[in-house]
Amino acid sequence: MGYMTLLERFRIPTYNDPNETILGRVDFDLARCTGCGMCVKICPASALELVDKKATMKEPPDDQCMFCGDCQAVCPVDAVIMKRPYRWTSFYKVIEHGEPKPPRLFTD
Amino acid sequence: MESVARKESKADLVERLKKDFTETEKVILERRSVRLYKDEQVPEFMVRRILEAGRFAPSAGNCQPWKFVVVRDPDLIYEMTEDVADACGIFSKIVNYTRPGREGLRTFSKIMTRLRKHDLHPVPFAAVSLIGDRKLGLWHGAPTVILIFYDTRGVGCPELDCGIAGQNMVLAAHSMGLGTCWVSFSKLLFEYNPKWKKVFSISYPFKFITSIAVGWPVGEPDGMISRQTHAVDWYEGQKKSTIY
Repeated sequence: MGYMTLLERFRIPTYNDPNETILGRVDFDLARCTGCGMCVKICPASALELVDKKATMKEPPDDQCMFCGDCQAVCPVDAVIMKRPYRWTSFYKVIEHGEPKPPRLFTD
Repeated sequence: MESVARKESKADLVERLKKDFTETEKVILERRSVRLYKDEQVPEFMVRRILEAGRFAPSAGNCQPWKFVVVRDPDLIYEMTEDVADACGIFSKIVNYTRPGREGLRTFSKIMTRLRKHDLHPVPFAAVSLIGDRKLGLWHGAPTVILIFYDTRGVGCPELDCGIAGQNMVLAAHSMGLGTCWVSFSKLLFEYNPKWKKVFSISYPFKFITSIAVGWPVGEPDGMISRQTHAVDWYEGQKKSTIY
Protein backbone atom coordinates (compact mmCIF):
# COMPACT_ATOMS: atom_id res chain seq x y z
CA MET A 1 0.00 0.00 0.00
CA GLY A 2 0.99 3.57 -0.47
CA TYR A 3 2.88 3.02 -3.66
CA MET A 4 2.24 4.45 -7.11
CA THR A 5 3.78 2.96 -10.21
CA LEU A 6 5.28 5.17 -12.89
CA LEU A 7 2.37 4.35 -15.19
CA GLU A 8 -0.14 5.44 -12.56
CA ARG A 9 1.71 8.69 -12.05
CA PHE A 10 1.52 9.53 -15.74
CA ARG A 11 -2.01 8.44 -16.52
CA ILE A 12 -4.92 10.74 -15.78
CA PRO A 13 -8.21 9.15 -14.80
CA THR A 14 -11.15 9.45 -17.13
CA TYR A 15 -14.06 11.01 -15.30
CA ASN A 16 -16.70 8.76 -16.78
CA ASP A 17 -15.01 5.37 -16.42
CA PRO A 18 -16.43 3.56 -13.37
CA ASN A 19 -13.28 1.43 -13.17
CA GLU A 20 -11.17 4.52 -12.58
CA THR A 21 -13.57 6.56 -10.49
CA ILE A 22 -15.14 4.61 -7.68
CA LEU A 23 -17.37 7.14 -6.02
CA GLY A 24 -18.51 7.27 -2.44
CA ARG A 25 -21.74 5.58 -1.55
CA VAL A 26 -24.30 5.92 1.21
CA ASP A 27 -27.16 3.56 1.93
CA PHE A 28 -30.46 4.35 3.57
CA ASP A 29 -32.28 2.45 6.28
CA LEU A 30 -35.61 2.72 4.50
CA ALA A 31 -37.55 1.57 7.55
CA ARG A 32 -36.28 4.65 9.41
CA CYS A 33 -36.32 7.20 6.57
CA THR A 34 -39.23 9.61 6.97
CA GLY A 35 -38.66 11.35 3.64
CA CYS A 36 -38.02 14.76 5.20
CA GLY A 37 -35.54 15.51 2.40
CA MET A 38 -32.90 17.27 4.51
CA CYS A 39 -30.12 15.08 3.09
CA VAL A 40 -31.30 15.81 -0.45
CA LYS A 41 -31.22 19.56 0.25
CA ILE A 42 -27.73 19.69 1.71
CA CYS A 43 -25.88 17.18 -0.50
CA PRO A 44 -23.13 19.31 -2.10
CA ALA A 45 -22.87 16.96 -5.07
CA SER A 46 -26.63 16.77 -5.54
CA ALA A 47 -26.26 12.98 -5.53
CA LEU A 48 -29.42 12.19 -3.57
CA GLU A 49 -33.10 12.32 -4.46
CA LEU A 50 -36.46 11.41 -3.00
CA VAL A 51 -38.24 8.51 -4.66
CA ASP A 52 -41.65 7.56 -3.24
CA LYS A 53 -40.91 9.72 -0.17
CA LYS A 54 -37.72 7.79 0.61
CA ALA A 55 -34.19 9.12 0.16
CA THR A 56 -32.03 7.28 -2.33
CA MET A 57 -28.90 7.81 -4.39
CA LYS A 58 -29.30 8.96 -7.97
CA GLU A 59 -28.43 6.68 -10.84
CA PRO A 60 -24.95 7.00 -12.41
CA PRO A 61 -23.50 9.36 -13.59
CA ASP A 62 -25.30 11.70 -11.17
CA ASP A 63 -24.22 9.84 -8.01
CA GLN A 64 -21.05 11.94 -7.56
CA CYS A 65 -20.75 11.27 -3.80
CA MET A 66 -17.71 12.80 -2.03
CA PHE A 67 -18.35 10.83 1.19
CA CYS A 68 -18.49 14.09 3.16
CA GLY A 69 -21.03 12.68 5.60
CA ASP A 70 -23.22 15.78 5.71
CA CYS A 71 -26.26 13.58 5.06
CA GLN A 72 -25.45 11.25 7.95
CA ALA A 73 -24.92 14.17 10.33
CA VAL A 74 -28.08 16.04 9.34
CA CYS A 75 -30.40 13.00 9.31
CA PRO A 76 -32.77 13.40 12.30
CA VAL A 77 -33.53 9.65 12.44
CA ASP A 78 -30.05 8.19 11.75
CA ALA A 79 -31.18 6.48 8.57
CA VAL A 80 -27.98 7.13 6.60
CA ILE A 81 -25.34 4.41 6.47
CA MET A 82 -21.97 5.50 5.09
CA LYS A 83 -21.05 2.54 3.00
CA ARG A 84 -18.08 3.17 0.76
CA PRO A 85 -15.54 6.01 0.55
CA TYR A 86 -14.44 7.16 -2.89
CA ARG A 87 -11.36 5.56 -4.34
CA TRP A 88 -9.74 7.06 -7.41
CA THR A 89 -7.12 5.24 -9.42
CA SER A 90 -4.26 6.32 -11.70
CA PHE A 91 -2.90 9.80 -11.03
CA TYR A 92 -5.46 10.55 -8.30
CA LYS A 93 -5.13 7.11 -6.70
CA VAL A 94 -6.22 7.10 -3.07
CA ILE A 95 -3.31 5.78 -1.02
CA GLU A 96 -2.83 4.75 2.58
CA HIS A 97 -6.49 4.95 3.57
CA GLY A 98 -8.11 2.43 5.88
CA GLU A 99 -11.73 1.48 6.46
CA PRO A 100 -14.14 4.27 7.46
CA LYS A 101 -14.74 4.53 11.21
CA PRO A 102 -16.55 6.98 13.52
CA PRO A 103 -14.52 8.99 16.08
CA ARG A 104 -12.82 6.65 18.57
CA LEU A 105 -12.00 7.07 22.27
CA PHE A 106 -9.31 4.30 22.37
CA THR A 107 -9.99 3.40 26.00
CA ASP A 108 -11.04 -0.24 25.60
CA MET B 1 -4.00 36.89 32.92
CA GLU B 2 -5.26 33.76 34.53
CA SER B 3 -5.54 30.64 32.42
CA VAL B 4 -7.98 27.80 32.88
CA ALA B 5 -6.84 26.35 36.22
CA ARG B 6 -6.67 22.58 36.46
CA LYS B 7 -8.49 21.81 39.68
CA GLU B 8 -8.55 18.03 39.34
CA SER B 9 -5.73 15.58 39.87
CA LYS B 10 -4.12 13.84 36.93
CA ALA B 11 -5.78 10.54 37.85
CA ASP B 12 -9.23 12.18 37.86
CA LEU B 13 -8.46 13.88 34.57
CA VAL B 14 -7.48 10.57 32.94
CA GLU B 15 -10.66 8.92 34.25
CA ARG B 16 -12.77 11.76 32.83
CA LEU B 17 -11.01 11.60 29.45
CA LYS B 18 -11.63 7.86 29.21
CA LYS B 19 -15.38 8.38 29.57
CA ASP B 20 -16.01 10.98 26.91
CA PHE B 21 -14.52 13.46 24.45
CA THR B 22 -13.74 16.93 25.81
CA GLU B 23 -15.88 19.89 24.76
CA THR B 24 -13.18 21.07 22.34
CA GLU B 25 -12.86 17.62 20.81
CA LYS B 26 -16.62 17.50 20.35
CA VAL B 27 -16.61 20.80 18.47
CA ILE B 28 -13.86 19.45 16.21
CA LEU B 29 -15.44 16.03 15.65
CA GLU B 30 -19.00 17.29 15.20
CA ARG B 31 -18.14 20.11 12.82
CA ARG B 32 -19.70 19.50 9.43
CA SER B 33 -19.57 21.74 6.39
CA VAL B 34 -22.92 23.50 6.42
CA ARG B 35 -24.48 24.07 3.01
CA LEU B 36 -27.95 25.33 3.88
CA TYR B 37 -28.34 28.59 5.80
CA LYS B 38 -31.17 30.70 7.15
CA ASP B 39 -31.54 34.22 5.74
CA GLU B 40 -31.24 35.68 9.25
CA GLN B 41 -28.03 37.70 9.69
CA VAL B 42 -25.44 36.68 12.29
CA PRO B 43 -25.12 39.26 15.14
CA GLU B 44 -22.12 41.51 14.60
CA PHE B 45 -20.51 40.71 17.96
CA MET B 46 -20.41 37.00 17.08
CA VAL B 47 -18.53 37.71 13.85
CA ARG B 48 -16.14 39.94 15.80
CA ARG B 49 -15.57 37.08 18.25
CA ILE B 50 -14.88 34.67 15.37
CA LEU B 51 -12.30 37.09 14.00
CA GLU B 52 -10.72 37.21 17.47
CA ALA B 53 -10.25 33.43 17.35
CA GLY B 54 -8.46 33.90 14.02
CA ARG B 55 -6.32 36.72 15.38
CA PHE B 56 -4.94 34.46 18.09
CA ALA B 57 -3.93 31.63 15.75
CA PRO B 58 -0.29 30.54 15.79
CA SER B 59 1.83 31.59 12.82
CA ALA B 60 5.46 31.21 11.76
CA GLY B 61 7.61 33.78 13.54
CA ASN B 62 4.34 35.28 14.87
CA CYS B 63 4.18 37.26 11.63
CA GLN B 64 0.37 36.87 11.32
CA PRO B 65 0.40 36.96 7.52
CA TRP B 66 -3.35 37.37 7.00
CA LYS B 67 -5.95 39.90 6.04
CA PHE B 68 -9.60 39.16 6.67
CA VAL B 69 -12.38 40.81 4.69
CA VAL B 70 -15.93 40.45 6.00
CA VAL B 71 -18.74 40.73 3.44
CA ARG B 72 -22.28 41.05 4.79
CA ASP B 73 -23.88 42.82 1.85
CA PRO B 74 -26.36 40.46 0.10
CA ASP B 75 -26.09 42.29 -3.23
CA LEU B 76 -22.30 42.00 -3.21
CA ILE B 77 -22.46 38.30 -2.26
CA TYR B 78 -24.99 37.70 -5.04
CA GLU B 79 -22.84 39.46 -7.61
CA MET B 80 -19.74 37.48 -6.61
CA THR B 81 -21.70 34.23 -6.74
CA GLU B 82 -22.88 35.04 -10.25
CA ASP B 83 -19.33 35.76 -11.42
CA VAL B 84 -18.03 32.48 -9.99
CA ALA B 85 -20.95 30.63 -11.55
CA ASP B 86 -19.99 32.04 -14.95
CA ALA B 87 -16.36 30.93 -14.46
CA CYS B 88 -17.41 27.47 -13.23
CA GLY B 89 -19.71 27.14 -16.21
CA ILE B 90 -16.79 27.79 -18.57
CA PHE B 91 -14.53 25.41 -16.60
CA SER B 92 -17.03 22.56 -16.64
CA LYS B 93 -17.74 23.08 -20.33
CA ILE B 94 -14.04 22.97 -21.23
CA VAL B 95 -13.06 20.05 -19.07
CA ASN B 96 -16.15 17.91 -18.95
CA TYR B 97 -15.50 16.00 -22.12
CA THR B 98 -17.81 13.25 -20.97
CA ARG B 99 -20.78 15.24 -22.23
CA PRO B 100 -22.14 14.21 -25.61
CA GLY B 101 -20.60 16.18 -28.48
CA ARG B 102 -17.48 17.09 -26.52
CA GLU B 103 -15.28 14.07 -27.21
CA GLY B 104 -13.00 16.28 -29.31
CA LEU B 105 -11.88 18.05 -26.13
CA ARG B 106 -10.44 14.88 -24.64
CA THR B 107 -6.73 15.58 -25.20
CA PHE B 108 -7.03 19.26 -24.27
CA SER B 109 -8.96 18.37 -21.12
CA LYS B 110 -6.43 15.78 -20.05
CA ILE B 111 -3.53 18.20 -20.47
CA MET B 112 -5.44 20.86 -18.53
CA THR B 113 -6.27 18.38 -15.77
CA ARG B 114 -2.57 17.70 -15.36
CA LEU B 115 -1.45 21.34 -15.56
CA ARG B 116 -4.09 22.61 -13.12
CA LYS B 117 -4.24 19.44 -11.05
CA HIS B 118 -5.70 21.10 -7.95
CA ASP B 119 -8.26 23.31 -9.66
CA LEU B 120 -9.49 20.58 -11.97
CA HIS B 121 -9.39 17.71 -9.50
CA PRO B 122 -12.21 15.34 -10.45
CA VAL B 123 -13.55 14.81 -6.90
CA PRO B 124 -15.50 18.07 -6.50
CA PHE B 125 -16.30 18.25 -10.18
CA ALA B 126 -19.99 17.59 -9.64
CA ALA B 127 -20.05 20.72 -7.45
CA VAL B 128 -18.25 22.78 -10.13
CA SER B 129 -20.85 21.73 -12.70
CA LEU B 130 -23.69 22.45 -10.25
CA ILE B 131 -22.38 25.95 -9.48
CA GLY B 132 -21.99 26.54 -13.23
CA ASP B 133 -25.60 25.43 -13.78
CA ARG B 134 -26.66 27.66 -10.84
CA LYS B 135 -28.10 24.72 -8.94
CA LEU B 136 -25.66 25.22 -6.07
CA GLY B 137 -24.86 28.60 -4.52
CA LEU B 138 -21.24 29.52 -3.98
CA TRP B 139 -21.64 30.31 -0.27
CA HIS B 140 -24.94 28.42 -0.04
CA GLY B 141 -26.91 31.52 0.93
CA ALA B 142 -24.77 32.36 3.98
CA PRO B 143 -25.39 35.98 5.08
CA THR B 144 -21.78 36.54 6.20
CA VAL B 145 -18.66 35.68 4.22
CA ILE B 146 -15.09 35.99 5.48
CA LEU B 147 -12.50 36.30 2.70
CA ILE B 148 -8.94 35.40 3.69
CA PHE B 149 -5.94 36.94 1.95
CA TYR B 150 -2.37 36.01 2.75
CA ASP B 151 0.66 38.25 2.92
CA THR B 152 3.00 36.85 0.25
CA ARG B 153 6.00 38.09 2.25
CA GLY B 154 5.14 35.95 5.30
CA VAL B 155 7.60 33.71 7.13
CA GLY B 156 7.79 30.08 6.00
CA CYS B 157 4.44 29.13 4.53
CA PRO B 158 1.93 32.01 4.93
CA GLU B 159 -0.83 29.99 3.19
CA LEU B 160 -0.61 27.43 5.98
CA ASP B 161 -0.83 30.13 8.65
CA CYS B 162 -4.01 31.41 7.01
CA GLY B 163 -5.38 27.87 7.12
CA ILE B 164 -4.65 27.67 10.84
CA ALA B 165 -6.34 31.03 11.47
CA GLY B 166 -9.29 29.91 9.37
CA GLN B 167 -9.71 26.67 11.28
CA ASN B 168 -9.62 28.63 14.56
CA MET B 169 -12.45 30.81 13.26
CA VAL B 170 -14.48 27.87 11.97
CA LEU B 171 -14.24 25.99 15.27
CA ALA B 172 -15.09 29.13 17.25
CA ALA B 173 -18.16 29.63 15.05
CA HIS B 174 -19.33 26.04 15.56
CA SER B 175 -18.85 26.30 19.32
CA MET B 176 -21.35 29.19 19.18
CA GLY B 177 -23.89 27.12 17.27
CA LEU B 178 -23.18 28.72 13.90
CA GLY B 179 -22.50 26.83 10.68
CA THR B 180 -19.55 27.37 8.36
CA CYS B 181 -18.23 26.10 5.07
CA TRP B 182 -14.79 26.53 3.53
CA VAL B 183 -15.22 27.82 -0.01
CA SER B 184 -12.16 28.08 -2.20
CA PHE B 185 -13.99 28.24 -5.53
CA SER B 186 -14.09 31.97 -4.80
CA LYS B 187 -10.42 31.94 -5.88
CA LEU B 188 -11.78 32.29 -9.41
CA LEU B 189 -12.90 35.83 -8.54
CA PHE B 190 -9.40 37.02 -7.81
CA GLU B 191 -7.42 34.89 -10.21
CA TYR B 192 -9.11 35.45 -13.55
CA ASN B 193 -10.98 38.70 -13.05
CA PRO B 194 -9.30 42.03 -12.13
CA LYS B 195 -12.66 43.52 -11.12
CA TRP B 196 -12.92 42.06 -7.63
CA LYS B 197 -9.37 43.00 -6.66
CA LYS B 198 -10.38 46.59 -7.35
CA VAL B 199 -13.67 46.29 -5.45
CA PHE B 200 -11.88 45.08 -2.31
CA SER B 201 -8.75 47.22 -2.88
CA ILE B 202 -6.49 44.17 -2.84
CA SER B 203 -2.94 44.76 -4.02
CA TYR B 204 0.61 43.70 -3.21
CA PRO B 205 1.49 41.97 -0.89
CA PHE B 206 -1.94 40.38 -0.40
CA LYS B 207 -3.19 37.42 -2.39
CA PHE B 208 -6.46 35.53 -2.06
CA ILE B 209 -6.27 32.11 -0.43
CA THR B 210 -9.75 31.00 0.68
CA SER B 211 -13.09 32.09 2.08
CA ILE B 212 -15.44 30.93 4.81
CA ALA B 213 -19.24 31.11 4.76
CA VAL B 214 -20.80 31.85 8.17
CA GLY B 215 -24.47 31.67 9.07
CA TRP B 216 -27.23 30.04 11.06
CA PRO B 217 -27.68 26.47 9.81
CA VAL B 218 -31.05 25.03 8.78
CA GLY B 219 -31.79 21.96 10.88
CA GLU B 220 -29.01 20.38 12.92
CA PRO B 221 -26.24 19.58 10.45
CA ASP B 222 -23.46 19.16 13.03
CA GLY B 223 -22.78 15.65 14.28
CA MET B 224 -20.28 12.81 14.26
CA ILE B 225 -19.93 10.67 11.15
CA SER B 226 -17.77 7.85 9.83
CA ARG B 227 -14.69 8.77 7.87
CA GLN B 228 -11.74 6.98 6.26
CA THR B 229 -8.88 6.11 8.57
CA HIS B 230 -5.38 6.98 7.41
CA ALA B 231 -2.18 5.01 7.81
CA VAL B 232 0.04 6.49 10.52
CA ASP B 233 3.60 5.23 10.89
CA TRP B 234 4.60 4.86 14.54
CA TYR B 235 8.25 4.59 15.63
CA GLU B 236 8.78 3.35 19.17
CA GLY B 237 11.16 0.91 20.88
CA GLN B 238 13.35 0.77 17.74
CA LYS B 239 10.44 -0.72 15.82
CA LYS B 240 8.16 0.68 13.16
CA SER B 241 4.48 -0.15 13.09
CA THR B 242 1.58 1.21 11.08
CA ILE B 243 -1.63 2.08 12.88
CA TYR B 244 -5.01 3.16 11.52
